[in-house]
Amino acid sequence: MIDKELAAFLEEGIAIQIGTRNARLEPNGARVVAVRVVDAGTRIVAFMPERAAKVVTADLEDNGQATLVFARPPDERSCQVKGVFEGMAGAHRDDERFVRDQWQRWLERLTTIGLPLPTLQGWDVWPCLAVRVRVTALFNQTPGPNAGVVL
Amino acid sequence: MAQPLGLEAMASCFQGLIPAALFTCAKDGTPNAAFLSHVDYVDATHVALSFQFFNKSKRNIAENPQALVRLIDPDTSQGWRLKLHYVRSETEGPVFERMALRIEAIASYSGLKGIFRLLAADIYEVLSVETVADEPPLACLAPTSAAGSARQTQLEADRRGNPVFTMEALQDLSTRIHRADSLERLLDSILEGLEASFGFEHSMILVPTIEEGTFVTIASRGYPEMGVGAEARLGEGIIGMVAEARKPIRISGLIRQMLYALAVQKRAQEQGIVASQRIPLPGLPQPDSQLGVPLLVRGELVGVLCIESTHPYRFHEEDKVSIELLGSYLAIAIQNMQLQERSAADAAVEASGEAPRKSTQAAPPPKPRGKAAAPKGGRELAYYLGEECILVDGEYLIRSLPAKILWLLLRRRTAEGRAEFTNRELRLDKSLNLPEWKDNLETRLLLLRRRLDQKCPDIRIIPRGRGRFALELACDVALVERP
Repeated sequence: MIDKELAAFLEEGIAIQIGTRNARLEPNGARVVAVRVVDAGTRIVAFMPERAAKVVTADLEDNGQATLVFARPPDERSCQVKGVFEGMAGAHRDDERFVRDQWQRWLERLTTIGLPLPTLQGWDVWPCLAVRVRVTALFNQTPGPNAGVVL
Repeated sequence: MAQPLGLEAMASCFQGLIPAALFTCAKDGTPNAAFLSHVDYVDATHVALSFQFFNKSKRNIAENPQALVRLIDPDTSQGWRLKLHYVRSETEGPVFERMALRIEAIASYSGLKGIFRLLAADIYEVLSVETVADEPPLACLAPTSAAGSARQTQLEADRRGNPVFTMEALQDLSTRIHRADSLERLLDSILEGLEASFGFEHSMILVPTIEEGTFVTIASRGYPEMGVGAEARLGEGIIGMVAEARKPIRISGLIRQMLYALAVQKRAQEQGIVASQRIPLPGLPQPDSQLGVPLLVRGELVGVLCIESTHPYRFHEEDKVSIELLGSYLAIAIQNMQLQERSAADAAVEASGEAPRKSTQAAPPPKPRGKAAAPKGGRELAYYLGEECILVDGEYLIRSLPAKILWLLLRRRTAEGRAEFTNRELRLDKSLNLPEWKDNLETRLLLLRRRLDQKCPDIRIIPRGRGRFALELACDVALVERP
């Protein structure tokens, strides 16, 4: 279960990717622009631009296996959330501000590693699909000796 | 959209400026995702991923060799997907060495030498390259600020394929080098030429000291402080690593990589793993790319050239051959000049047969220059016998052989009233214990002269023709010997 502190970290505006795989165990992945931790930390809603979601939709519908990886520069804190896909739908209009704000915080954070603000501003952000994932395991992934430890 | 492999054109993706993401899958079908510090270009169909820690990705690859890497081009912002197939792990060879040296240099800056290190370079075949539809390139960057404008200019230059190491630039540098008539002029000409011809504004040359494994800055350009006399040790930082490996090291996106290493350091400390001492960066406080070049002549390390930039990836992999050639050329030029100065110095003194002049014949005392003027009561120079170093008014001036030389000169000047000296008499002085072959005395004297100019300009060493120089004092000097 995701506690409040971890939830705040995940929703802070950091790098997020979703990993999936197909029936041939070929790994796949795409960008997530924002997440919301829901249901008392047992589920995550990952907001993905429509074109990004399209890349992993078939995998999710085929086998339901999903993983979300998060990383925050400049301290490189990172974790991975393993889960099971529960469903996908067009994100609600009310979510747009939440998603855009989280993505904008990520862009601003990129400046701490020397990337100018405009670098990723041309990328798709909205409209999004909301991908619902039930959390099954949490792992620390901050680089160093503790990477891989269960949270 | 799948594209023909064109990894060569994706050079900026492989600089490690924006973290890449690696996706793998376990045998039981559980996907895994992780951020990577670096994806290295190997050849037109292969990339290498650094293996630094045993982790889930590594275990997955052992079970299922398929992987996907997502990269971002920091210039165009285009996102890329590379489908990979694991081929082998290398623990030696050029790819491993290149990656390991870069990581070790960063590790020593972060006090993580031996902890933050490359275990293997994992080589993957690239099966396909695709652009990411939702991560399109920016059509153009709006130059809304001076920085944005400068970046746009730089990017446009890069897109034009504006190479740094052109024949014209090399020829220009060569002309400058040929004009130099002394070691001092040669070193300055090299650094001036690197700026004028190649645009490298921050550079320094270090030479080996008489102590094995220690290098000292003999010339620098583009730094607020001259930095002459600053030392580096074998195996520490980019300079020490270049000296140890005798291979060029290129680090791009240094700020991000340092932050990554510091994150590792923090976790290591939390686990009670003691980090070693952090090595300060050699020049700029926050360089974003560094290039270290060994100056080698027939296997002998004459020195190390270090170039820094605040641009995140000023130095490109494709420049490697040019950089190595440049290093060899500079090394030969420096060594030739060292040998020429030595033989010319000896010949000149022998031909003149003149005894060194007394201080009464010396030129008028120089006017102190710069900020470090002598205190009213004169200067105290203290020689610490144990450390073989000299402090001026309590501040470090110089150590090792140049310190011994200065102390000898000061004592002779006081005892014999002489102001002029010859290189030859220093060579013959047994107390200095100079090696018979390649003593690099002229280089040591140049270092001493520059260090005095920098720290106490009222004590000066002035060349008086080949093989002769004067020690001039524009202030009273008290000499003190301490254990």
